[in-house]
Amino acid sequence: MNRKRRTNLLWNQQQKIAPYLFIAPFYLLFVIFMGYPLISSLVMSLYEMRGFQSRIFVGFGNFTDLFGDPIFWKSLKNTAYFAIGTLTLQLPIALLLAILLNSKFVKGKNFLRLAFFAPVLVAGVFVAIIFNLVYDQRAGLVNQEFILFGKEIGWLNEENYVMPAVILTGVWQWAGFNMIYFLAGLQGIRQELYEAAAVDGANWWQAFVHVTLPSLRPVIAFVVVVSMIGSLQLFDLPFILTNGGEPADAGSTIVMYLYKNGFQFMRLGYAATIGWVLFFIIAVISIVQLKLLGIFRDE
Amino acid sequence: MFRLPIDAESFPLGKGPMVMLILFLISTLFIFGRSEEQGEDIEFWIFANTHYEEYQARVPLFEAQNPGVNVQLINFGGTMHDKLLAAMLSNFGAPDLVEVEITSIGRFLKGAIDEVGFVDLRPRLESEGWMDRLVVSRFTPWSYRGRIFGIPHDLHPVVLLYRDDLFKAAGVEMTEVETWDDFIAAGKKATRDLDGDGKIDQYAIVLDRRTESDYFSLLLQQGGGFFDEDGNVIIDSELAIETLEFFTALFNEHNIATPVYGTWHGDPSNFAAMQDGKILSILAPDWYVGILKSQVPQMSGKWKAVGMPAWHPDGRRTTTRGGTMIGITKQCKHPDRAWELLKFTYFDRPGLVNRYETTRIIPPLKAAWDAPIFKEPDVYLGGQPLGELFIQLAPDLPPRYQNPYWSEAADLLNDAIFAAVTEKQTPREALTDLAEKVRALMAKDMDRWGEM
Repeated sequence: MNRKRRTNLLWNQQQKIAPYLFIAPFYLLFVIFMGYPLISSLVMSLYEMRGFQSRIFVGFGNFTDLFGDPIFWKSLKNTAYFAIGTLTLQLPIALLLAILLNSKFVKGKNFLRLAFFAPVLVAGVFVAIIFNLVYDQRAGLVNQEFILFGKEIGWLNEENYVMPAVILTGVWQWAGFNMIYFLAGLQGIRQELYEAAAVDGANWWQAFVHVTLPSLRPVIAFVVVVSMIGSLQLFDLPFILTNGGEPADAGSTIVMYLYKNGFQFMRLGYAATIGWVLFFIIAVISIVQLKLLGIFRDE
Repeated sequence: MFRLPIDAESFPLGKGPMVMLILFLISTLFIFGRSEEQGEDIEFWIFANTHYEEYQARVPLFEAQNPGVNVQLINFGGTMHDKLLAAMLSNFGAPDLVEVEITSIGRFLKGAIDEVGFVDLRPRLESEGWMDRLVVSRFTPWSYRGRIFGIPHDLHPVVLLYRDDLFKAAGVEMTEVETWDDFIAAGKKATRDLDGDGKIDQYAIVLDRRTESDYFSLLLQQGGGFFDEDGNVIIDSELAIETLEFFTALFNEHNIATPVYGTWHGDPSNFAAMQDGKILSILAPDWYVGILKSQVPQMSGKWKAVGMPAWHPDGRRTTTRGGTMIGITKQCKHPDRAWELLKFTYFDRPGLVNRYETTRIIPPLKAAWDAPIFKEPDVYLGGQPLGELFIQLAPDLPPRYQNPYWSEAADLLNDAIFAAVTEKQTPREALTDLAEKVRALMAKDMDRWGEM
C-alpha cells in the first residue's frame, strides 16, 4: 500500500521535474560558459588587475582611459573600414554571384557554386599565409599585375594599403559563403511574381528592384547583420596577415587590441572594458540595421 | 534486489531519453569525479616544435634513470603562452615545468614580485654552483628584482651572414669589414642597379623596419636597451637616438638597406629575394641559420659569416636576439624532481651537443663548447666552422634587461621605428614620444598601486 503511494508520489513529482531536467544541461552549460564569464568580465571591467592576484576598483576609469586611447580609436577606425568594405564590396559581389549562378544562362552552375564557396573551407590562418605571398611587394601575384602598369604597391608595408588588402582577402574568403544565402533566397522567390511584373511591362532592372530585392529583404537583413557582427569581431586574418597589426597599427582591429591588452600586456580589466564597448557597438549597429531593413515592421 | 524508482516504460518520452539521461549523468560523474593520479608525474609544456622533438627523444632516458617518474610532454605551439597565463590566473592547471619565449616573459612578471608564478631558481643555481658555469649575461632576460625565474635555453649570438660571391663581385672583401663605417663603405659598392633601369637590384643588407628586431639588436650591441637594470626607461637616451638615426640612415641616406620582404625575416618572400640575389647580407642569430637551412637548402654554400661590424674599433662584434627559458611554476607538485628534469634537459652535455646538431643553437653551458661538433665545418656555409664563430662571440653577449612592461614597450617601439624610417618623425621625436608614453603608463600604475 505504502509502496504504491510512494510510486504515485514519485510519478507525480517526475511529471513536474522531468521537463526541467531535460532543459537543465543547456542552462547549466549556458550559466557556466556564458553567464558567469559575462558577469565576471563586466565586474572585471570596473577593476584594474595587477599580476595574477591583485586588483583594484577603478569604477569607470578603464572606460575613460579607453576613450582617450589613440590606439583604440585607430583600431576602431580600421574595424569600421573593414565593416564598410564588407558592406559595400563583399555583399554586392556575393549577391551578383548568386544572381549569375541562379540564371539559366550560366553553365556548370554546381561546379561554380562549389568553387566560389570553397574559400570559406580554408582556415583563416592559411588564408592569411597564402595572401601574404599574394600581396608580396616585389614578387606577389597582385603586384606582378600592377607592375605592368608601372606600379609597385606595398600592400602590407604601407599604412594606406593594409586595410584594403585585408578587405580584399575578406571578399575572397567570404563572398562565396554569403552567395549561398542569397542563392537560397533567390530560389525561394515565386516565379509568378516575375511573370506578373513582365505582364506589367517591367524590364530586368525594374523586376530586380521591385521584385527581387523586396523578396530578399529577410535574407539581406540576416546576411548584413551577421556579416557586420563578423566584421566587427575581425581578428585572425589581419593578425597573421599583418604580423600583429603592423606597420604602425595600420592593421590593428578592436579584437586584436583586446587580445593584446588581455594576453600580451596583462591588462585584463582594460581588455574586459574593450570587450564590453565592442558589445555595445555591435548591439547598437545590429538594432539600427534591423530597424532600417524593416525587420521589426509588422506586415 | 535493487530496483530503480522508475522504469523505462513510464519514463517521459520513453526509453531513449532515459538512456541519454543516464549516460549524461555517468559521463558527468566520470569527468568531475576523476581522482588525482598517484606518483611523481611531471607535466612539461613546450611551444617550439624543435624543442619538443628534442625532448621527446631524450625524456625516456630520464624516465629510465628515475623509476616511477612519468614525464608528460605537451607541445601547445604558439598558443602555449596564453594557456599558461590562463592557468596562472586561475591558480589551477599550470604545468610543473614550462618553456617561455623571451618576448612573452614580461607579462608573467607583472604585479608584486611574490605573486610571480615562477619559482625563484637563484638559491638552487647558487648552491649547486651553476651560475659560474653558464653565460651570466643570459640570465638577465629571465631575472627581475634580483630573482631568477628561468634558466636560459640558448645564447642566440648574432653574426653577419653575407653572400661572399656577390660582395666579391662588387670588389668587397667582407672579412676586412670591422666597423659599421666600413660596412657602409662596402655596402655602397655592393648595392647596385645591375640592369641599368634606374632601380636597385641588390641591396647590401635587409633590415626589418616594421618591428624592433634589428634596431633593438643594434642597440643592445652598444650596451643600450629599453630599460636599464633598475627598470628605468632609457629608450630616449642619446645612445638609443643615435642608433635609430644610424638605422634610418642605412635606408634613407646611404640607400644600402632594403626593408624585409614580406612581414619578417622568415617570410617566404624574403627567402625568395635571397635566392634571387637581391639581399647580400642579414643579421642572423644562431636559430635563424637553422631556419635558413631548413627553408632554403638550395642556398647551401652561398653564405659566409663574420662577426657583426663593431660600433668602434675593437668594439663588440655581436648582439643577441630571441631566446627561451625554462622555469618551474609555483603550482609544481614535485619541484625537486622538476629541477632534476630541468638539469637533464638544459645542463646535460650530450643533449646540448645533439641540440646544436639539429637546431644550430649554441647552449649557455660553457662546458659543452669544447665538443668537436662546434668546430666541424658547416657545409651550408661553404665549410666554415660556424659553431666556432658563435662560441668565440658568446662570452661577449650584451645583457638584455627584462621588464614587466616589455610587451607594451615593444609594441610602441615598433611604431616608433616605422615612423622614423618612413620619415614621419625624426628618430629623436619618435623615441622621445615613445619614452613619454611608456613612462606615463608606468607612472599611472605607480599612482594606482603605490609601487611598480
